[in-house]
Amino acid sequence: MNFRKFLADKIVSVIISLCAWLIIWDFLSAFHIRSGQIAIIGIIYFMADILKILLEYFRRKTFYTDLISNTENLDKKYLLSAMTESPNFYEGQVFYDILCETNKSMCDNIAEYRRHSTEFKEYIELWVHEVKLPVASLLLMCHNNPETSEKYSEQLRRIDDCIENVMYYVRSENAEKDYLIKEVSLKRVFNAYAVKNREELQQRNVIIKAENLDITVMTDSKWLEYIIGQVIGNSMKYFSPDREPEINIYAVETDDTITLHMRDNGIGIPLSDLPYIFEKSYTGENGRTHAKSTGMGLYIIKKLCESLGHDVKACSVQNEFTDISITFGKNNFMKIE
Amino acid sequence: MNKIYIIEDDKSIRTELAELLKNAGYETECLTDFSDSKRHILESESDLILLDINIPVVNGETLLKEIRRETDTPVIMITSRTSETDEVLSMSYGADDYITKPYNPTILLLRISAVLKRSYKENIKTSYRNLQINTAKGSLSDGNDELILTKNEMIIFQLLLDHQGQIVSRDELMTTLWDNEEYINDNALTVNISRLRSKLADFGCENAIETRKKQGYILI
Repeated sequence: MNFRKFLADKIVSVIISLCAWLIIWDFLSAFHIRSGQIAIIGIIYFMADILKILLEYFRRKTFYTDLISNTENLDKKYLLSAMTESPNFYEGQVFYDILCETNKSMCDNIAEYRRHSTEFKEYIELWVHEVKLPVASLLLMCHNNPETSEKYSEQLRRIDDCIENVMYYVRSENAEKDYLIKEVSLKRVFNAYAVKNREELQQRNVIIKAENLDITVMTDSKWLEYIIGQVIGNSMKYFSPDREPEINIYAVETDDTITLHMRDNGIGIPLSDLPYIFEKSYTGENGRTHAKSTGMGLYIIKKLCESLGHDVKACSVQNEFTDISITFGKNNFMKIE
Repeated sequence: MNKIYIIEDDKSIRTELAELLKNAGYETECLTDFSDSKRHILESESDLILLDINIPVVNGETLLKEIRRETDTPVIMITSRTSETDEVLSMSYGADDYITKPYNPTILLLRISAVLKRSYKENIKTSYRNLQINTAKGSLSDGNDELILTKNEMIIFQLLLDHQGQIVSRDELMTTLWDNEEYINDNALTVNISRLRSKLADFGCENAIETRKKQGYILI
């Protein structure tokens, strides 16, 4: 709080004071009171005025300095009213009460939106389970009637992929912890993905090299399987027509981390796009010129990895390769003996 | 013939599942009255139970817990819930496997036969004609000589042997190979089969594997 500005704010009351003094002075002179006595009265008058202003200033200063420093230090500014004490002067109290009131109303508002969002998420999860039933039923029908061609199952699997995307998007956007972290074998997770998606991988004649995956990490296996599926799904979208498609999946272990690399020999990502690929709705050059892209896949991966505490990175050279790597921390405390 | 008990409340899935299992050579029975599931299950005396989590009256996980108190019949949980928590919970209640919908039918059949094989060891065949099979060593022997098979050839041979006299589709062979972390392609499967054929022929088993056009292979 700046004293000069405070004084400038008080300029009207200072002017009124001065005018009043001029009238008093005029009045006293008219009664032939000696100038020495007038001076004493003047000093008392102005001393009282200065004292009043100073007192007012310091009472406000303590409150506002507190308020300002709290605002600066607080990470969540809306906690301000809870962190500040009620001031000891009237207008401050009025202001403080209003602050508390608006804050409460804001909290109620947010709580309502949060409830809406949770309800929406619950509904989506429920819907996902519901819609999977007819898909499961149709897949079985296709299998039981081999004359209805493989084409149908392929489309059904596409539908299922879309459903999974919605579910994991909802999961990644919600702070609730609906994952379970435990020791998971990278080999088993990749195997589960590969077996489920064998037809698609084989149709495209992808050479899969899975090496050094016999290692366990702390993660949620369902989420990781989805992440692997998204990364390899991307690889399959952007294979180069000039060479045989190949995906290398391997783990690298250091003293305190394990990194899972998924490297393809596709068209790669332009250097100018590379820093932005994990951003929401970012499609980049490849998304425009090659397969159509929603710009959501890698964003969801990033969010899921953040929730699980993994680090996800992309490394690529255009027309040569793309390498998406996920780094898991090695935390022995988390191991269940 | 193994009998499989299906507990699934979606009627369409239930009938298709029963048909799938019948085509694969299993006997099936479906639960239609969910008011007294436990008694029906126990009375059916099945070899394996397929149990859905979202069923009426009592939740599948609770039902599993109750069944486990009475019998060791293998149980495979089938659910549309993709969550680690459900899987861990089911496994801790004593499920033998956990599969999420929509499942690939070939994978489902593979899991069922794997669980049955694990639970009822007598199903495993250890000999073919005059040959003894040593799975651990990956070899066949006729008492004097030993025939070493590669991992892929052994997986193929074992699957054909388990279904001796029946047609095994390329899809089933592929799924089994991939399930065993052998991510090979179509050409490689053809090469592996012809190599297995000639190895068996060299060992005195001529024409052991026959090709059935557009259907698969059959071990005679």
